[in-house]
Amino acid sequence: MEEVTATVVMEGAVVGPEGAEATTAEKKGFKVVVAVDDSENSHYALSWAIDYILANRREDCQLVVLHVQHFVETTFMYPVAGHAVYAPTLSMDAVRKAHEENSKRVISRAVDICKSKHVDALTAVADGDPKDAICEAAEKLHADLLVVGSRGLGMIKRAFLGSVSDYLAHHAKCPVLIVKPPKGSHK
Amino acid sequence: MEEAKERTGTGKKRVMVAIEEHECSHYALEWTLLNLKPTISSPLLLITVQPFSPFTYVAAASYSSPPQELIQSMQEHQKQAALALLEKAKEICAKHGVDVETITEMGEPKEVICQVAEQRNIELLVMGSHARGAVERFFLGSVSNYCVHHAKCPVLVVKQDSGKKN
Repeated sequence: MEEVTATVVMEGAVVGPEGAEATTAEKKGFKVVVAVDDSENSHYALSWAIDYILANRREDCQLVVLHVQHFVETTFMYPVAGHAVYAPTLSMDAVRKAHEENSKRVISRAVDICKSKHVDALTAVADGDPKDAICEAAEKLHADLLVVGSRGLGMIKRAFLGSVSDYLAHHAKCPVLIVKPPKGSHK
Repeated sequence: MEEAKERTGTGKKRVMVAIEEHECSHYALEWTLLNLKPTISSPLLLITVQPFSPFTYVAAASYSSPPQELIQSMQEHQKQAALALLEKAKEICAKHGVDVETITEMGEPKEVICQVAEQRNIELLVMGSHARGAVERFFLGSVSNYCVHHAKCPVLVVKQDSGKKN
Protein backbone atom coordinates (compact mmCIF):
# COMPACT_ATOMS: atom_id res chain seq x y z
CA MET A 1 0.00 0.00 0.00
CA GLU A 2 1.57 3.23 -1.13
CA GLU A 3 1.62 6.19 1.11
CA VAL A 4 2.22 9.85 0.56
CA THR A 5 5.86 10.18 -0.27
CA ALA A 6 6.38 13.81 0.50
CA THR A 7 4.49 16.77 1.72
CA VAL A 8 5.27 20.16 0.37
CA VAL A 9 3.78 23.02 2.25
CA MET A 10 4.01 26.39 0.65
CA GLU A 11 2.63 28.45 3.40
CA GLY A 12 2.80 32.12 4.08
CA ALA A 13 1.58 34.55 1.51
CA VAL A 14 0.76 33.54 -2.00
CA VAL A 15 3.28 31.08 -3.35
CA GLY A 16 6.30 33.24 -3.99
CA PRO A 17 9.35 32.61 -6.09
CA GLU A 18 11.25 31.45 -3.08
CA GLY A 19 8.64 28.81 -2.32
CA ALA A 20 9.73 25.23 -2.15
CA GLU A 21 9.50 23.15 -5.26
CA ALA A 22 7.58 19.93 -5.22
CA THR A 23 10.11 18.09 -7.31
CA THR A 24 13.77 18.76 -7.06
CA ALA A 25 14.63 16.36 -9.84
CA GLU A 26 13.33 17.06 -13.31
CA LYS A 27 11.07 14.09 -13.82
CA LYS A 28 10.10 13.40 -17.38
CA GLY A 29 6.72 12.11 -16.36
CA PHE A 30 3.24 13.45 -16.77
CA LYS A 31 2.32 15.61 -13.85
CA VAL A 32 -1.30 15.94 -12.90
CA VAL A 33 -2.25 18.53 -10.33
CA VAL A 34 -5.67 18.20 -8.79
CA ALA A 35 -7.01 21.15 -6.88
CA VAL A 36 -9.17 20.14 -3.97
CA ASP A 37 -11.24 21.87 -1.41
CA ASP A 38 -13.96 20.87 0.96
CA SER A 39 -16.56 20.18 -1.66
CA GLU A 40 -17.78 16.81 -2.81
CA ASN A 41 -17.11 17.92 -6.34
CA SER A 42 -13.42 18.21 -5.88
CA HIS A 43 -13.20 14.81 -4.26
CA TYR A 44 -15.14 13.38 -7.13
CA ALA A 45 -12.75 15.16 -9.48
CA LEU A 46 -9.82 13.60 -7.70
CA SER A 47 -11.34 10.13 -7.92
CA TRP A 48 -12.14 10.68 -11.54
CA ALA A 49 -8.62 11.85 -12.30
CA ILE A 50 -7.13 8.85 -10.59
CA ASP A 51 -9.47 6.35 -12.17
CA TYR A 52 -9.10 7.72 -15.60
CA ILE A 53 -5.68 9.14 -16.03
CA LEU A 54 -3.53 7.33 -13.60
CA ALA A 55 -5.13 3.99 -14.20
CA ASN A 56 -4.07 4.11 -17.79
CA ARG A 57 -0.77 5.86 -17.44
CA ARG A 58 0.46 4.62 -14.17
CA GLU A 59 4.11 4.31 -15.12
CA ASP A 60 5.03 7.89 -15.54
CA CYS A 61 2.21 9.79 -13.99
CA GLN A 62 2.74 11.92 -10.95
CA LEU A 63 -0.20 13.15 -8.98
CA VAL A 64 -0.14 16.25 -6.87
CA VAL A 65 -3.03 17.21 -4.67
CA LEU A 66 -3.23 20.95 -4.20
CA HIS A 67 -5.27 22.74 -1.63
CA VAL A 68 -5.57 26.47 -1.36
CA GLN A 69 -6.34 28.07 1.93
CA HIS A 70 -8.20 31.26 1.91
CA PHE A 71 -5.97 34.08 2.86
CA VAL A 72 -6.44 34.78 6.51
CA GLU A 73 -6.88 38.43 7.23
CA THR A 74 -4.24 39.50 9.64
CA THR A 75 -6.33 42.24 11.05
CA PHE A 76 -10.03 42.40 11.40
CA MET A 77 -11.56 45.77 11.73
CA TYR A 78 -14.92 46.11 13.32
CA PRO A 79 -16.38 49.50 12.74
CA VAL A 80 -18.10 50.32 15.96
CA ALA A 81 -19.97 53.60 15.95
CA GLY A 82 -17.50 55.06 13.52
CA HIS A 83 -14.42 53.87 15.31
CA ALA A 84 -12.44 50.98 14.01
CA VAL A 85 -11.49 48.45 16.58
CA TYR A 86 -8.85 45.88 15.93
CA ALA A 87 -9.93 42.40 16.67
CA PRO A 88 -8.29 40.85 19.66
CA THR A 89 -5.44 38.51 18.83
CA LEU A 90 -7.27 35.64 20.40
CA SER A 91 -10.00 35.53 17.84
CA MET A 92 -7.50 35.93 15.00
CA ASP A 93 -5.61 32.96 16.23
CA ALA A 94 -8.78 30.99 16.52
CA VAL A 95 -9.70 31.81 12.95
CA ARG A 96 -6.27 30.93 11.71
CA LYS A 97 -6.39 27.69 13.60
CA ALA A 98 -9.76 26.87 12.16
CA HIS A 99 -8.43 27.48 8.67
CA GLU A 100 -5.50 25.22 9.27
CA GLU A 101 -7.69 22.51 10.70
CA ASN A 102 -9.86 22.76 7.67
CA SER A 103 -6.90 22.50 5.34
CA LYS A 104 -5.58 19.50 7.14
CA ARG A 105 -8.93 17.83 6.93
CA VAL A 106 -9.27 18.50 3.25
CA ILE A 107 -5.80 17.26 2.49
CA SER A 108 -6.13 14.17 4.58
CA ARG A 109 -9.43 13.32 2.96
CA ALA A 110 -7.80 13.70 -0.44
CA VAL A 111 -4.86 11.61 0.62
CA ASP A 112 -7.26 8.93 1.84
CA ILE A 113 -8.84 8.80 -1.56
CA CYS A 114 -5.42 8.40 -3.14
CA LYS A 115 -4.42 5.70 -0.72
CA SER A 116 -7.60 3.79 -1.26
CA LYS A 117 -6.78 3.67 -4.93
CA HIS A 118 -3.16 2.77 -4.30
CA VAL A 119 -1.77 5.92 -5.73
CA ASP A 120 1.22 7.91 -4.63
CA ALA A 121 0.49 11.54 -4.29
CA LEU A 122 2.38 14.61 -3.34
CA THR A 123 0.45 17.22 -1.49
CA ALA A 124 0.78 20.94 -1.67
CA VAL A 125 -0.89 23.72 0.18
CA ALA A 126 -0.96 27.29 -0.95
CA ASP A 127 -2.38 30.43 0.51
CA GLY A 128 -4.30 33.22 -0.98
CA ASP A 129 -6.99 33.79 -3.50
CA PRO A 130 -7.86 30.38 -4.91
CA LYS A 131 -7.87 31.42 -8.54
CA ASP A 132 -4.46 32.99 -8.60
CA ALA A 133 -2.95 30.61 -6.13
CA ILE A 134 -3.92 27.56 -8.12
CA CYS A 135 -2.58 29.09 -11.33
CA GLU A 136 0.68 29.98 -9.73
CA ALA A 137 1.03 26.68 -7.98
CA ALA A 138 0.32 24.78 -11.17
CA GLU A 139 3.03 26.76 -12.84
CA LYS A 140 5.52 26.31 -10.05
CA LEU A 141 4.81 22.61 -10.00
CA HIS A 142 5.23 22.41 -13.78
CA ALA A 143 1.88 20.74 -14.08
CA ASP A 144 1.12 19.05 -17.35
CA LEU A 145 -2.53 18.94 -16.54
CA LEU A 146 -4.67 20.71 -13.98
CA VAL A 147 -7.82 19.02 -12.78
CA VAL A 148 -10.57 20.81 -10.90
CA GLY A 149 -14.13 20.18 -9.90
CA SER A 150 -16.67 22.31 -11.63
CA ARG A 151 -17.97 24.43 -8.86
CA GLY A 152 -17.66 25.07 -5.23
CA LEU A 153 -13.93 25.46 -5.20
CA GLY A 154 -13.47 27.68 -2.23
CA MET A 155 -15.67 28.58 0.61
CA ILE A 156 -18.16 30.70 -1.20
CA LYS A 157 -19.84 27.85 -2.92
CA ARG A 158 -23.13 29.37 -3.71
CA ALA A 159 -22.07 32.68 -5.16
CA PHE A 160 -19.67 31.72 -7.87
CA LEU A 161 -20.90 28.90 -9.98
CA GLY A 162 -17.66 27.56 -11.24
CA SER A 163 -16.01 30.92 -11.52
CA VAL A 164 -12.77 29.47 -10.25
CA SER A 165 -12.76 26.67 -12.79
CA ASP A 166 -13.71 29.22 -15.41
CA TYR A 167 -10.84 31.48 -14.44
CA LEU A 168 -8.46 28.57 -14.51
CA ALA A 169 -9.57 27.55 -17.96
CA HIS A 170 -8.72 31.08 -19.09
CA HIS A 171 -5.51 31.65 -17.25
CA ALA A 172 -3.73 28.48 -16.35
CA LYS A 173 -0.71 27.86 -18.51
CA CYS A 174 -1.38 24.18 -18.83
CA PRO A 175 -4.46 22.34 -20.07
CA VAL A 176 -7.31 22.36 -17.60
CA LEU A 177 -9.69 19.51 -17.09
CA ILE A 178 -12.96 20.45 -15.46
CA VAL A 179 -14.78 17.53 -13.94
CA LYS A 180 -18.49 17.89 -13.59
CA PRO A 181 -20.42 16.07 -10.93
CA PRO A 182 -21.79 12.82 -12.27
CA LYS A 183 -25.09 12.85 -14.05
CA GLY A 184 -28.03 12.69 -11.80
CA SER A 185 -26.45 14.38 -8.85
CA HIS A 186 -27.58 17.82 -7.84
CA LYS A 187 -25.31 20.52 -6.54
CA MET B 1 -20.96 9.16 -5.74
CA GLU B 2 -17.54 7.57 -5.94
CA GLU B 3 -18.62 4.74 -8.18
CA ALA B 4 -18.82 6.38 -11.54
CA LYS B 5 -21.36 4.53 -13.57
CA GLU B 6 -19.70 5.84 -16.68
CA ARG B 7 -16.66 3.74 -16.15
CA THR B 8 -16.10 1.33 -19.00
CA GLY B 9 -14.55 -2.05 -18.50
CA THR B 10 -10.92 -1.19 -19.12
CA GLY B 11 -11.18 2.28 -17.64
CA LYS B 12 -10.89 3.91 -21.02
CA LYS B 13 -13.29 6.62 -21.84
CA ARG B 14 -15.28 7.75 -24.82
CA VAL B 15 -13.61 10.97 -25.86
CA MET B 16 -14.83 13.56 -28.28
CA VAL B 17 -12.72 16.36 -29.67
CA ALA B 18 -14.39 19.45 -31.05
CA ILE B 19 -12.76 20.64 -34.23
CA GLU B 20 -13.21 24.31 -34.96
CA GLU B 21 -11.80 26.60 -37.53
CA HIS B 22 -8.85 27.61 -35.47
CA GLU B 23 -5.66 25.66 -35.35
CA CYS B 24 -6.04 25.50 -31.59
CA SER B 25 -8.35 22.51 -32.04
CA HIS B 26 -5.65 20.64 -33.85
CA TYR B 27 -3.25 21.58 -31.14
CA ALA B 28 -5.73 20.28 -28.56
CA LEU B 29 -6.12 17.08 -30.54
CA GLU B 30 -2.36 16.58 -30.72
CA TRP B 31 -1.96 17.22 -27.03
CA THR B 32 -4.67 14.73 -26.19
CA LEU B 33 -3.17 12.08 -28.42
CA LEU B 34 0.29 12.67 -27.07
CA ASN B 35 -0.66 12.63 -23.44
CA LEU B 36 -3.89 10.77 -23.01
CA LYS B 37 -3.81 8.19 -25.75
CA PRO B 38 -3.76 5.19 -23.44
CA THR B 39 -6.92 6.43 -21.82
CA ILE B 40 -8.99 6.85 -24.93
CA SER B 41 -11.35 4.12 -25.96
CA SER B 42 -11.57 3.50 -29.64
CA PRO B 43 -12.83 5.19 -31.71
CA LEU B 44 -12.02 8.75 -30.94
CA LEU B 45 -14.84 11.03 -31.99
CA LEU B 46 -14.19 14.19 -33.90
CA ILE B 47 -16.98 16.65 -34.28
CA THR B 48 -17.20 19.72 -36.39
CA VAL B 49 -20.21 21.96 -36.54
CA GLN B 50 -21.02 24.33 -39.32
CA PRO B 51 -22.80 27.39 -38.11
CA PHE B 52 -25.88 28.78 -39.83
CA SER B 53 -24.89 32.32 -38.91
CA PRO B 54 -23.23 33.68 -42.05
CA PHE B 55 -26.58 33.86 -43.68
CA THR B 56 -27.79 36.66 -41.45
CA TYR B 57 -25.26 39.14 -42.71
CA VAL B 58 -25.58 37.93 -46.25
CA ALA B 59 -29.26 38.73 -46.10
CA ALA B 60 -28.53 42.16 -44.70
CA ALA B 61 -25.91 42.89 -47.32
CA SER B 62 -28.25 41.98 -50.12
CA TYR B 63 -30.96 44.28 -48.83
CA SER B 64 -33.45 41.48 -49.00
CA SER B 65 -33.29 37.81 -49.63
CA PRO B 66 -29.88 36.96 -51.05
CA PRO B 67 -29.64 35.14 -54.33
CA GLN B 68 -29.91 31.43 -54.07
CA GLU B 69 -26.57 30.81 -55.73
CA LEU B 70 -24.78 32.97 -53.21
CA ILE B 71 -26.19 31.00 -50.32
CA GLN B 72 -25.38 27.76 -51.98
CA SER B 73 -21.85 28.76 -52.78
CA MET B 74 -21.34 29.90 -49.22
CA GLN B 75 -22.65 26.65 -47.90
CA GLU B 76 -20.42 24.78 -50.28
CA HIS B 77 -17.44 26.81 -49.22
CA GLN B 78 -18.20 26.21 -45.59
CA LYS B 79 -18.56 22.52 -46.14
CA GLN B 80 -15.25 22.40 -47.92
CA ALA B 81 -13.56 24.24 -45.10
CA ALA B 82 -15.09 21.91 -42.52
CA LEU B 83 -14.06 18.85 -44.47
CA ALA B 84 -10.53 20.14 -44.81
CA LEU B 85 -10.33 20.63 -41.07
CA LEU B 86 -11.62 17.15 -40.46
CA GLU B 87 -9.17 15.69 -42.93
CA LYS B 88 -6.28 17.33 -41.18
CA ALA B 89 -7.60 16.08 -37.86
CA LYS B 90 -7.94 12.57 -39.23
CA GLU B 91 -4.37 12.73 -40.45
CA ILE B 92 -3.18 13.70 -37.01
CA CYS B 93 -5.04 10.77 -35.52
CA ALA B 94 -3.73 8.38 -38.12
CA LYS B 95 -0.23 9.55 -37.32
CA HIS B 96 -0.78 8.50 -33.73
CA GLY B 97 -2.46 5.29 -34.75
CA VAL B 98 -5.84 6.13 -33.34
CA ASP B 99 -9.16 5.11 -34.83
CA VAL B 100 -11.44 7.94 -35.58
CA GLU B 101 -15.11 8.52 -36.13
CA THR B 102 -16.11 11.86 -37.56
CA ILE B 103 -19.34 13.70 -36.99
CA THR B 104 -20.43 16.71 -38.97
CA GLU B 105 -23.42 18.72 -37.95
CA MET B 106 -24.94 22.04 -38.76
CA GLY B 107 -26.17 24.48 -36.25
CA GLU B 108 -24.97 26.59 -33.40
CA PRO B 109 -21.59 25.02 -32.62
CA LYS B 110 -21.62 25.32 -28.86
CA GLU B 111 -25.09 23.92 -28.43
CA VAL B 112 -24.65 21.14 -30.92
CA ILE B 113 -21.38 20.02 -29.38
CA CYS B 114 -22.99 19.73 -25.97
CA GLN B 115 -26.04 17.98 -27.38
CA VAL B 116 -24.01 15.44 -29.28
CA ALA B 117 -21.79 14.86 -26.28
CA GLU B 118 -24.87 13.95 -24.31
CA GLN B 119 -26.48 11.85 -27.01
CA ARG B 120 -23.36 9.84 -27.63
CA ASN B 121 -22.68 9.48 -23.94
CA ILE B 122 -19.31 11.11 -24.19
CA GLU B 123 -17.17 10.90 -21.10
CA LEU B 124 -14.61 13.53 -21.94
CA LEU B 125 -14.96 16.52 -24.20
CA VAL B 126 -11.79 18.11 -25.49
CA MET B 127 -11.70 21.64 -26.79
CA GLY B 128 -9.06 23.97 -27.97
CA SER B 129 -9.06 27.54 -26.86
CA HIS B 130 -7.78 30.44 -28.81
CA ALA B 131 -6.85 33.03 -26.28
CA ARG B 132 -4.88 35.51 -28.24
CA GLY B 133 -4.58 39.22 -28.73
CA ALA B 134 -5.46 42.03 -26.41
CA VAL B 135 -8.58 40.37 -25.14
CA GLU B 136 -6.62 37.34 -24.12
CA ARG B 137 -7.42 37.67 -20.49
CA PHE B 138 -11.11 38.12 -20.84
CA PHE B 139 -12.19 36.00 -23.70
CA LEU B 140 -12.02 32.26 -23.70
CA GLY B 141 -13.36 31.26 -27.06
CA SER B 142 -17.07 31.44 -26.55
CA VAL B 143 -17.62 27.91 -27.73
CA SER B 144 -15.23 26.41 -25.22
CA ASN B 145 -16.55 28.70 -22.52
CA TYR B 146 -20.12 27.62 -23.20
CA CYS B 147 -19.19 23.97 -23.21
CA VAL B 148 -17.29 24.25 -19.96
CA HIS B 149 -20.43 25.49 -18.32
CA HIS B 150 -23.06 23.45 -20.06
CA ALA B 151 -21.62 20.11 -21.00
CA LYS B 152 -22.69 17.35 -18.67
CA CYS B 153 -19.41 15.53 -18.95
CA PRO B 154 -15.90 16.56 -17.95
CA VAL B 155 -14.34 19.08 -20.28
CA LEU B 156 -10.69 19.44 -21.09
CA VAL B 157 -9.60 22.82 -22.36
CA VAL B 158 -6.22 22.86 -24.03
CA LYS B 159 -4.88 26.31 -24.58
CA GLN B 160 -2.57 26.95 -27.42
CA ASP B 161 0.39 28.88 -26.21
CA SER B 162 0.52 32.12 -28.07
CA GLY B 163 4.04 32.54 -26.82
CA LYS B 164 3.46 35.54 -24.70
CA LYS B 165 3.24 35.07 -21.00
CA ASN B 166 2.22 37.55 -18.33
